[in-house]
Amino acid sequence: MKLRRFSRIAVVALAFGTVLAAGGCGKKDDAKPGENGETITLRILENDTAKEKGYLDELLKAFNEAYKDKGIQAVDANMEEYSNLAENGPYGYGPDVLYQANDKIMTYAEDKHIMAIDVEKLDCYKTTPKEAFEAFNIVHDGKTYTCGVPVNVQEPMLFYREDNLPSDWKEKWDDNKNDVPDFFENWNDLYAYSKQLRDSDDSPNRDKKFGFMSSFNNLYLNAEFLFSYGGYVFGTDKDGSYNSKDIGFGKGDSAKGISGLIQFATLMNEGCIDDTITTGRYEKIANGTFFAAVSTPDTYALFVEKLALKYEDEGLSKDEALKKAQDNIKMIELPGLMPKDGDLTKNADDMSDSDFVKTVVMGGVNGYGISSYTKHRDACIEFVNFATSYDMISKRTQMLGIAPTRSDVASENGGVADKIFTSLKEGRIMLMPSIKAVDQIWSPVQTLMGDLAKDAFRKDGEKKYTDIASIQTALDKASQNVYDAIYTLAG
Amino acid sequence: MEEKKLDSIEKKLDNTEKGKRSGRLISGLKAVLVDSTWPVKLSLVVMGLGQIVRKQVIKGLLYMGALAAFVIYMINNGIEDIKGFYTLGTVEGDPWLGTVGDDSVMMMLRGILAFVIIGIFLMLYKSNINDIMEIEKRLSEGKKLPGFVKACRNFMDRKFYKAALTPPIIGVMVFNVLPIIFMIFIAFTNYGGDIKPPKLIDWNGLGNFRTILTIGKLKDTFFKIFRWNVVWAVLSTLINYFGGLFLALLLNKKCVKGKTFFRVFPIMAYALPGFITLLAFKFMFSYGGPINYYITLNGASPVGFLDIDAGIKARIIGLFVNAWISIPSSMLLATGILSNMNTDLYEAASIDGATKWKQFTKITLPFVIFSTTPVLITTFIGNFNNFGIFYFLRGHIICDGYFLASDTDLLINWLYNLSIDNEYYGIGAALSLIIFIIISIVSLSVYVRSAAFKKEDTFR
Repeated sequence: MKLRRFSRIAVVALAFGTVLAAGGCGKKDDAKPGENGETITLRILENDTAKEKGYLDELLKAFNEAYKDKGIQAVDANMEEYSNLAENGPYGYGPDVLYQANDKIMTYAEDKHIMAIDVEKLDCYKTTPKEAFEAFNIVHDGKTYTCGVPVNVQEPMLFYREDNLPSDWKEKWDDNKNDVPDFFENWNDLYAYSKQLRDSDDSPNRDKKFGFMSSFNNLYLNAEFLFSYGGYVFGTDKDGSYNSKDIGFGKGDSAKGISGLIQFATLMNEGCIDDTITTGRYEKIANGTFFAAVSTPDTYALFVEKLALKYEDEGLSKDEALKKAQDNIKMIELPGLMPKDGDLTKNADDMSDSDFVKTVVMGGVNGYGISSYTKHRDACIEFVNFATSYDMISKRTQMLGIAPTRSDVASENGGVADKIFTSLKEGRIMLMPSIKAVDQIWSPVQTLMGDLAKDAFRKDGEKKYTDIASIQTALDKASQNVYDAIYTLAG
Repeated sequence: MEEKKLDSIEKKLDNTEKGKRSGRLISGLKAVLVDSTWPVKLSLVVMGLGQIVRKQVIKGLLYMGALAAFVIYMINNGIEDIKGFYTLGTVEGDPWLGTVGDDSVMMMLRGILAFVIIGIFLMLYKSNINDIMEIEKRLSEGKKLPGFVKACRNFMDRKFYKAALTPPIIGVMVFNVLPIIFMIFIAFTNYGGDIKPPKLIDWNGLGNFRTILTIGKLKDTFFKIFRWNVVWAVLSTLINYFGGLFLALLLNKKCVKGKTFFRVFPIMAYALPGFITLLAFKFMFSYGGPINYYITLNGASPVGFLDIDAGIKARIIGLFVNAWISIPSSMLLATGILSNMNTDLYEAASIDGATKWKQFTKITLPFVIFSTTPVLITTFIGNFNNFGIFYFLRGHIICDGYFLASDTDLLINWLYNLSIDNEYYGIGAALSLIIFIIISIVSLSVYVRSAAFKKEDTFR
């Protein structure tokens, strides 16, 4: 009897307990961590080169020393270089500050994953050209915001071995006597010298002497054949924002530029259709098969490394080989003048200044962005200000060989860094558009560029691009393909 | 006339069966709701209450605990999660302002989880009713009720299969079924393109399927790729299967010396990671690769094996490379099966005058096909969804007349281009659902018609 009563009481108690527990579990803990004076830790995502060469360690050490009294410390975010902020950030796993190219940062900024910064308050603002900041501008609700702080400029560069210059270049290839070979100043002479090298190749398969070489299926490295002639990726609206409906690969006289690309392809081998030249350029420059090849500044070390290996095989010590290779490998900007009519076969000596157009290449600005999901916005701004200071950018330039966007550091370092800076200021570098739609341009346009290069190797009856009109049609079609890729599924 | 009679009898029987089933349901409900004892009614209202009244305290408390947990969950999260599943969020977040909005993807996941939890609860509720009914039955028969430990022991003993299979079933549900259900639901949303969190995702019904099957560019691309995909899957499956069988038969021949030595080479090709092999082949067939090197060495022009004009050449290379990677596994499988062959059959066939070809088609092939039909189907599915071959050999090429695809891409490559490269997740999910339906229909219809299914117990 007692047991039965106990059971009944227990049952009723449990039933009440159930209801009470159910009602009492609705509240959530809203307390925020890290606001009680403890040290703030910022997670910094840098690129792999900065990590490998020890620059990130230097930066973190210097920052932590400078801010140890302010309760801020920075650490390596220890994440994959291109980890996806859009996927990780909202759940608290992304970095607080990230260093990336403008197109990447601005892709995030479009969905507000990167916060807007009041850049005018930063130390680097006055010494950085507005063109560099514009790469990080975005328009939201009619207002322009800046979401990144520029650090350095990237553009395709020409790499060659100094000892491979013709011994008589000062007599035969320096008409204006400015101590710069003509074939590094205009594309017609580069074509002419490349042709001379090809004609002199008497190896059984004619595969030992090439002039300028490039994988033409790479849009980033070869965009000058479009941009120098009025082509562009996306047009801009009145407020300066990109208009992804205005796709300009076929605009202006870009078809003429492409006819020049096809002409140059005839002086190369079929490797220019796919990425064969891109993958083999370090080796071929080192062994002298290629006279010059196009690449990005961050690959400089690879050219040096391959040439040093060659010297080591020839009997030099490791240090001697490295020193000799560093002295011998040269990195310069692409020739600054292209023929207005796209005809590279014309003799540059017979051409006047008005027969040329300025070379405009595709480039990018790398910089720092701050995650919108950081809990320490002010501390992040402090870090970015510190990382873009004169001292740190100078150190970065020395350690990583970048072309800084700070005018004071660029002019102090001189050489290539200063030239790239000047090109950016003078509009000879067309920056990669900072919108998400840029992701859709690569496959359609690169497929076309490979196809255009292939035309140089098709038999006469099989050639697809025999005149400017056929090239124009192909470019317009590529622009349409890009448009379709962006808008067909956009809903 | 006879047939009509038979039809009507069949219909009557069918109706009787249906009637019996619904009758059983009604009488079952009546037994539980009306004719049952008061402890059963208690358990109907509060899970486990009847069991406690009948002194099955631990069991009763466990049922009651489950009910309590379910009620707590539903009040705290469940109801909101189900609402969220239907709306997929109403407040859009703004990371710049620091406002946290609704996360549509998480809401969908939590909604699915809520339905799963409700399903599990209903199963528990049913088991609670069954249990109290069983208790009442035993008591009415004058039998003693077992204690909790003994009941558990009895359960483990009599229904061991349930206890053993529960953990793997839960694992499969969590790691396989839930993601599939999630993917299926994604196919009915506008997720992708510009609409990604923090923006709100919305249900769009059959919109994605309509897009794939009606918008000109997508429709044309879908059907072109689908046709090639079917040809590819059939050809590659046949080449790999018969290539492996041929090698196995060859290396099974008594006259072949050094069988072990020769078997090493295919196994080596099999052991090498697939993508390494594919990258090696890509290099071999590139303009700078060794094949073109030897072609040009003889004065001929290099051949674009994998470039934009490659067309049929690239497709044939794909079949060849796939055979290179897959034939060794078919060979190993066939070698194992052939070792179980009864050699007396061949002897008898020879005495009856059967030629070697006849022996192959009438003895070897049926035996091997019988044993390997399920493998053949999985190989077909694997080839239909063979992502790696053309991704590594010929990725990032867009051909004329195709939307974000090349003329060698399979549906799975196109799916990747759309959903990963271009982030159209909804379209990608719809496409994968279409692929799933096609593959299921083909594989199931082949399997149920096969000897392996029909004569499972007879052919050994």
